[in-house]
Amino acid sequence: MFEQGMLLLVGEAFLETLFMTLVSTFFAYVIGLPLGMLLVVSDKDGIYPIVSLNKIFGVIINFIRSVPFLILLVAITPITKIVVGTVIGPKAASLALLVAAGPFVARLVESSLKEVDKGVVEAAQSMGASPFQIMTKVLLPEATPSLLLGFAIAVTTILGYSAMAGICGAGGLGAIAINYGYYRGDKEIMYVMVVLLVLIVQVFQELGTRISRHSDKRL
Amino acid sequence: MEEKEAMIQLRGVCKRFPQKKDTIEVLHNIDLDIYKGEIFGIIGLSGAGKSTLVRCINLLERPTAGQVFLDGMELTSLGEKELRVQRHSMGMIFQQFHPLMQKTALENVMFPMKISGVPKEKAQERAKELLELVGLSERMLSYPAQLSGGQKQRVAIARALATEPKVLLCDEATSALDPNTTAGVLSLLKDINERLGITIVVITHEMSVIQKICSRVAILDGGDIAEIGSVEEIFRSPKTQIGRELVFHDGEKKEAYVGHVPYCYRTVFKGDSANEPILGNMMIEYGAPVNILSGNTRNIKGGVFGQMILQFPEDAEVRGKMIQYLRDRKVEVEEVEYV
Repeated sequence: MFEQGMLLLVGEAFLETLFMTLVSTFFAYVIGLPLGMLLVVSDKDGIYPIVSLNKIFGVIINFIRSVPFLILLVAITPITKIVVGTVIGPKAASLALLVAAGPFVARLVESSLKEVDKGVVEAAQSMGASPFQIMTKVLLPEATPSLLLGFAIAVTTILGYSAMAGICGAGGLGAIAINYGYYRGDKEIMYVMVVLLVLIVQVFQELGTRISRHSDKRL
Repeated sequence: MEEKEAMIQLRGVCKRFPQKKDTIEVLHNIDLDIYKGEIFGIIGLSGAGKSTLVRCINLLERPTAGQVFLDGMELTSLGEKELRVQRHSMGMIFQQFHPLMQKTALENVMFPMKISGVPKEKAQERAKELLELVGLSERMLSYPAQLSGGQKQRVAIARALATEPKVLLCDEATSALDPNTTAGVLSLLKDINERLGITIVVITHEMSVIQKICSRVAILDGGDIAEIGSVEEIFRSPKTQIGRELVFHDGEKKEAYVGHVPYCYRTVFKGDSANEPILGNMMIEYGAPVNILSGNTRNIKGGVFGQMILQFPEDAEVRGKMIQYLRDRKVEVEEVEYV
């Protein structure tokens, strides 16, 4: 079915997809993890309430999250041009992925940290723990299994975005699925790409679930 | 009575919570002294403000007005940072235990020492000692999920004692435990009080908890201290409606009982008056029966007490004589409005 050239193309696209996904996930966490922590800490019931700051960040995050990814991808091309130097290819797409995924990760982190029993936080406060100690020694360690599950969700979602970014010349498996499968009507290639994407999602999700379960001492 | 030194002093403590429209005042102007080395009980029905009151002691809730002193130091004037240091000398345990779920029993007990900067080796050594003290040295490496409720509370107690506090605050510490486990945890608290001399404050809605370990008790009702005194005093003759409810029915709703019955009296027999069949002799002497509506015995710090709710005869003269008969034999008799 595939001649060698096609195989090479697919192999390259596979690596591009992995690259885009992992790099953007990494940077999404660089932004999203502290942002999520900030949301939890500054909440009106948080350990260091700063309600105005919390509201401002909340609105910004909601705003970015409500813009459909494809529109965001196109909308930030001027910025992409300046930052990356080009608006096509995996690197360019990574920036858009990062902008979309950062706030998403922040919400994931926020919800994981909020799962930690308020009573445990109160107990730590009664021992004289500072807000910083509560974050680093109580909230993050106690929420680790949930953070890991969130990480798997983040990776698979960003993978989905990266496939969408294919439409804007981002490369990767999504681009092949669209260019060869959709535009040229080669359904076989489209199916193969979709199956590959499904497999990657399965692997990341399964890995995330297992590591999370393994790390959780409540079971 | 000898002058006792206060460990915890509350002066004019008020706590208000702002609601959407107005403010709810949960504690009104509370003055309270808790002495060094005693086990002090605070009892009340749910919503009386007990939990808020105990949180005002270590300032998990900052009082809206008033002062809180710990061993002579005013906590309410301290900043957050200094307050955190003072909290090392106040341990606290909770109804739901609140262990760190992702840490072993040993790590849980080490946790407050980690917070206060005790070196790891020393913290580990002390944590082991404390787990031994609470009878859990064999479960050191277990995670909270692998422990029973009573064991989790023991870990929490060891954890609360880790920083060698002067005070241990217990917020409904046994309310989630079954009666046997409760008894075990209470005797552990008593043991800690006697061996380490730590002042303990017990918050509860159960009179039985107060009777088992407390020396003095304050009854909290609607944000006010309704009554305060030695447990024996309060048990023998509660002066307020809420006090009677708690002592007679252990805080259960009185509607569960008979309702209004005329000529009802509560009698309290002290342990040593149990040798003589007082009631029987009384009925023979006056030739009239009394109706026993309820009765039980309680162990309180100063001895065994039996209490009975009796319905006396309608004839006022016989009734008066009978009551005098009982009072002559050192039985406390008090009319009650409901049974």
